[in-house]
Amino acid sequence: MAARDRHGLDAPWGDFRIVGSPKRKIDGLAKATGSAVYADDVVLPGMLHAKTLRSPLAHARIVSIDASAALALPGVHAVITGRDLPVKYGVIPWTQDENALAVDKVRFIGDPVAAVAAIDEDTANEALKRIHVEYEPLHAYLDPRESLARHEPAIHEGRKEGNVSKNVLLEFGPVDELIAKSDVIVEDDYTFHGTTHAAIEPHCAVAHASADGLLTVWSATQITHYVHRALARVLELPPHKIRVIQPCLGGAFGGKSDPFSLEFCVALLALRTGRPVKMLYTREEVFYCHRGRHPMQLHYRSGATKDGKLQGVDAKILIDGGSYSSFGLVTTYYAGQLLTGPYAFQSYRFDSTRVFTNKPPCGPKRGHGSVQPRFAFEVQLDQLAEKLALDPIEIRRRNFVGEHTTTVNGQRITSNGFLACLDEVERASGWKTRRGKLGYGRGLGVAGSMYISGTNYPVYPNKMPQAGIQLKVDRSGLVLAFTGGNDIGQGSNSVVQAIVAEELGLPLERVRVVAADTDLCPVDLGAYSSRVTFMVGNATIDACRKLRAQIVAAVAAHWQVDPRRVRLVEGEALDLEDGAKHMPIVEAFHLAEERFDTLGATGSYNTPELGGKYRGGTIGASPAYSFTAHVVEVSVDVETGRIRCEKVWIAHDCGRALNPMLVAGQMEGSAYMGIAEALLEEHTLNRYGLHRGPSLLDYKLPTSVDTPELAALIVESLDPEGPYGAKEAGEGPLHPSLPALSNAVYDAVGVRLKHLPFTPGKVLAALAEQTERVAPHPLATSTASAPGARGAH
Amino acid sequence: MLRLPKFEVATPKSVGEAIALLAEAGPSAVVLAGGTDLLPNLKHELATPELVVSLGAIRELAGIRLADDGTLAIGAMTTLETVASSELVRARAPALAQAASLVAGPQLRTMGTLGGNVLLDTRCQWINQSYFWRSALGFCLKKDGTKCHVVEGGKKCVAAASNDTAPALMTLGASLALEGPSGKRSVALDDFWVADGIYNKKLAHAELLVEVRIPPLPQGHRGAYGKLRERASIDFPLLGIAARLDVGTDQRVAHADVVVTALAAQPRRVKLVAETLRGVPIDEHELAHAENATLETSAFGRAVRSIAELAEKQCHPLPNVPGDADWRQAMVPVFVRRTLLAAARRAGPVHAD
Amino acid sequence: MGVLHLKINGDDLEVAAPGHWTLLEVLRYRLGLTGSKQGCDKGDCGACTVLLDGKPVLACLTLAATVQGRHVTTIEGLLPAHVAAGGKGADPVQDAFDRCGALQCGFCQSGMMLSARALLNRNPQPSDAEIKDALSGNLCRCTGYTQILQAVELAICEAAGRTPTPRSWERASCADSGAASASDSGERSA
Repeated sequence: MAARDRHGLDAPWGDFRIVGSPKRKIDGLAKATGSAVYADDVVLPGMLHAKTLRSPLAHARIVSIDASAALALPGVHAVITGRDLPVKYGVIPWTQDENALAVDKVRFIGDPVAAVAAIDEDTANEALKRIHVEYEPLHAYLDPRESLARHEPAIHEGRKEGNVSKNVLLEFGPVDELIAKSDVIVEDDYTFHGTTHAAIEPHCAVAHASADGLLTVWSATQITHYVHRALARVLELPPHKIRVIQPCLGGAFGGKSDPFSLEFCVALLALRTGRPVKMLYTREEVFYCHRGRHPMQLHYRSGATKDGKLQGVDAKILIDGGSYSSFGLVTTYYAGQLLTGPYAFQSYRFDSTRVFTNKPPCGPKRGHGSVQPRFAFEVQLDQLAEKLALDPIEIRRRNFVGEHTTTVNGQRITSNGFLACLDEVERASGWKTRRGKLGYGRGLGVAGSMYISGTNYPVYPNKMPQAGIQLKVDRSGLVLAFTGGNDIGQGSNSVVQAIVAEELGLPLERVRVVAADTDLCPVDLGAYSSRVTFMVGNATIDACRKLRAQIVAAVAAHWQVDPRRVRLVEGEALDLEDGAKHMPIVEAFHLAEERFDTLGATGSYNTPELGGKYRGGTIGASPAYSFTAHVVEVSVDVETGRIRCEKVWIAHDCGRALNPMLVAGQMEGSAYMGIAEALLEEHTLNRYGLHRGPSLLDYKLPTSVDTPELAALIVESLDPEGPYGAKEAGEGPLHPSLPALSNAVYDAVGVRLKHLPFTPGKVLAALAEQTERVAPHPLATSTASAPGARGAH
Repeated sequence: MLRLPKFEVATPKSVGEAIALLAEAGPSAVVLAGGTDLLPNLKHELATPELVVSLGAIRELAGIRLADDGTLAIGAMTTLETVASSELVRARAPALAQAASLVAGPQLRTMGTLGGNVLLDTRCQWINQSYFWRSALGFCLKKDGTKCHVVEGGKKCVAAASNDTAPALMTLGASLALEGPSGKRSVALDDFWVADGIYNKKLAHAELLVEVRIPPLPQGHRGAYGKLRERASIDFPLLGIAARLDVGTDQRVAHADVVVTALAAQPRRVKLVAETLRGVPIDEHELAHAENATLETSAFGRAVRSIAELAEKQCHPLPNVPGDADWRQAMVPVFVRRTLLAAARRAGPVHAD
Repeated sequence: MGVLHLKINGDDLEVAAPGHWTLLEVLRYRLGLTGSKQGCDKGDCGACTVLLDGKPVLACLTLAATVQGRHVTTIEGLLPAHVAAGGKGADPVQDAFDRCGALQCGFCQSGMMLSARALLNRNPQPSDAEIKDALSGNLCRCTGYTQILQAVELAICEAAGRTPTPRSWERASCADSGAASASDSGERSA
């Protein structure tokens, strides 16, 4: 397939004219002026409003549902329950365990049970109160350790693994032997608490069923193609009768990468009523949808030689999956598979187990599956460095896995700019002169990471391209690019626009992009796993080069010159050897259309064969990995226990920054989110199994005055397979934030924080424990009494 | 979108008209000031009124004036932003200006009023939730249920007074001018509260808060407000501490006061503050130049420390509002001490850092 | 259902809406002014920020019936007002947000830009701390606020004829390509 061709790192026409410099986004002014249309901005004539009835119990059997009083309410047009949508779905084909509405049992507080369509939201809400559901409560699992130990009652019945969702045990090399022979060993426990995406736009879907049986669904999704497939499956309709459109999307971060209940409900309600139907989740419902970052209990044991070389890493991880599988199979693999860079492991074992609990289901959040292990391991690496009296940056350099190499678990690494990332943060933060010298209460910490640029594992196995694109050339001189890629705010449509403009020598304004509409656009798998720039970018280059060959050929024939003399730049076709020969690009398009018929081209991308030759060896295998290093500066108020993150230096190897402003935005947004997860955010349930505070008041997103200064430092390693050398930038730069912050606190006050989040109560408890253990730090002026912080571990 | 329950809206133009509307409608009517407390509560169905009486169009209720006798009178509908930025308030009642400047975030201060903040409903992690959420655990004492989720077996609601301005006003000796169907009355803010989280104030139905009055303060008055919260904006207090320190011409403390809020249903005055601090010398030079640690060795510093200890013994935050109650307890002495020092230094507010 | 007399972006409008409708609901679902967003339902996020008599308020906690006779400015009102005042295209704040990359998903930014506009109207030369404070009631989940603060700084600097501080990433990656194609570039220098 042409898509596997390497396009090369070079600019198509000498120097890059667009790629590599900051440009406005294709939809920037539409967003700036309020005219961009998001899902809840879609209003159709005669539209009904739908609402969801949710389970008030964490685990129960549904005995009966009586909706007659709701249906009798004037203005109510339809009520549906699980019986109306009995087909199960799930984003991973082997673990389809979700129903759009609960069938027979509910599995967490907030599980959808019924849906109502009515003339307005008030009437729909009133109808919900008139649906009578009788439940038979079951034992609720709120502790993942209990799910591991106890299998009755089963959260999902009929599974031989009981309440275990997935277990993966993989071993590479003689781990126990090499650790035993190591000069230093560190073994410790770490906790990741659980966080959620909290995109500011709540989930929303609108459905319209036309008289001729075409169902159109507009949804705030980041995976149009999978929603298309899931709708066809659950509604038992042929896929060609369904069209899914992603309008402008108000943030996702992985939180919109599953098919969700509301998409099926509005579709069925529209089919049932013959009216368009909209459902907009409340913020509270978004918290119940969740799919956020899994809580994990992590145990790591690592051994190194006395010069700091890692000999073996042994991990045991318990993952709290919540009530459904979602992407959990992948999460369980990612928790181990993505740790094997940027450092060389001589041997490695991980044993990760995901269990079901009666909580909102977890799923993929920015840095899926790997933020938690990365946190644990990078803190452990600092513990090793301390034992060896090595500088934390130095131990990371010494273990550098290298470029164009293969990791211990068989993953192919191509370009690798990690050493340059370390150099950048070391320089920019003044590490050599400042670390350990900022006085008691202030400190610097470092951490590194790697992440995938998509994987070669489509969630349903097939050999078709992962990304497709189609170009249409208009006689006006406009080029339209049709892409299935989901622009979720990261700017993927702008990337497509920039590549088309670069390849065809057009100004940006001559390229428009139509995206994420299953009727109009070729399939792309969606915005997840940091795959869009890499894969859609390569597909775009592929299509452009086919089109460009036609245009160049037509111009060359017209001028009767060798095609190699023809260049397309800045809206003109030029003869390299004869300055008198040039024409506006629109004339070149006309010549090509005369010669080749209506102009257009398709392009695609698929990954090469990748991954280890073992079961699960392809999960986490990426055509290119990005690399990141952070230095975090903190100050700690030892009286209040409050950690203030002062600054984060973020160095990220993105291969090539196609638009450095967008790359920097991804890096800054990632670091912000990581620091927030470390210090403020906590997705937790109370003793009733009810979300503690499902609101943006109680779930603490940092404001502008809570966010540290963020310094993005772009490193370009020019990947041989990325579009012009580009790799991902949207997820990798989150990872090091959390461990670098913990490591900075150690530098500041000498306590090792291993259990997230780092609440002030935990910090005070750790400081008190330190005071008991050793004589107080000579500079410590703490006079605070030690509270018995309940959250402390 | 989370919807408001259905109601009608009235926009009276005078206090009298508003009172008449409320009296006529009876308990099915509620008063709307800035809306920043009432409307979220209505969206959570903590009340389902038939009539909402908006005070926004009553001009006489907004404004700050200095009366001839030196009383600072602030209309109930004066926005928190106006209170926070008023030179008059900043100069005469610094603790109030600071407290107002730390309520919620910028938009909510533009909307929210001083009267609304004083009359803020009590808050609790088990009550400020949607109808669905509250129904899932069988509701609670404050509304629709019989059980307290904060204190096991508790029979009295302990939802927390969460109004930042109230403790500041209490240290200032403020009184409230109220007007109702049976006429006008004035009540000292100290005497306004009831230890009941369900309804923690002595305000009758159809009675309006018209004005907040702060009596003349001595020349040497100093004050500060300290607020513990998770974020440096938006959040309600996990602890709110108002401190007052009046310094006499002899450079000794003439009067002092500390009031703490976000503990339980009403703000709590720390006992023995005035007694402990009265007569203690204030060294301006030391205040201006010494580090906290050094300052704490002075007579004033030692007195402040003993007040912090008093506060720690007297104030016990309950796990009513979200957040770590043990941490809040540990922060009582720290914030009392920091806020008193800030008052002495004519600094403050004591806040996120 | 009462008829409300509203002044929206300079227009006097009559709108029929029930008493319990918020200004946000009237703007979005009666007037089609969907640029004001709803993110949290109840005053926690700032996405619905509009200007009421020039000051930022939350439309989701404002009853439409209570703003009669007062001037409401939504994000849709900024560009026409700028053009009416003799400017070209978008308001300088909107333009700066676009040029600085502050609009990732864009969902929170209507409110953010209106908070910024209100700040600059009352204080054309705010300090960094004043900018952060003024925006501290608007949650953004994408940017980490950095490019937002850079956008506000750019708008301030351009009005004052100053050059904004270089961004951390400009030194290494963009020095050699900065000159290209100024017309549609996100470069900040005017």
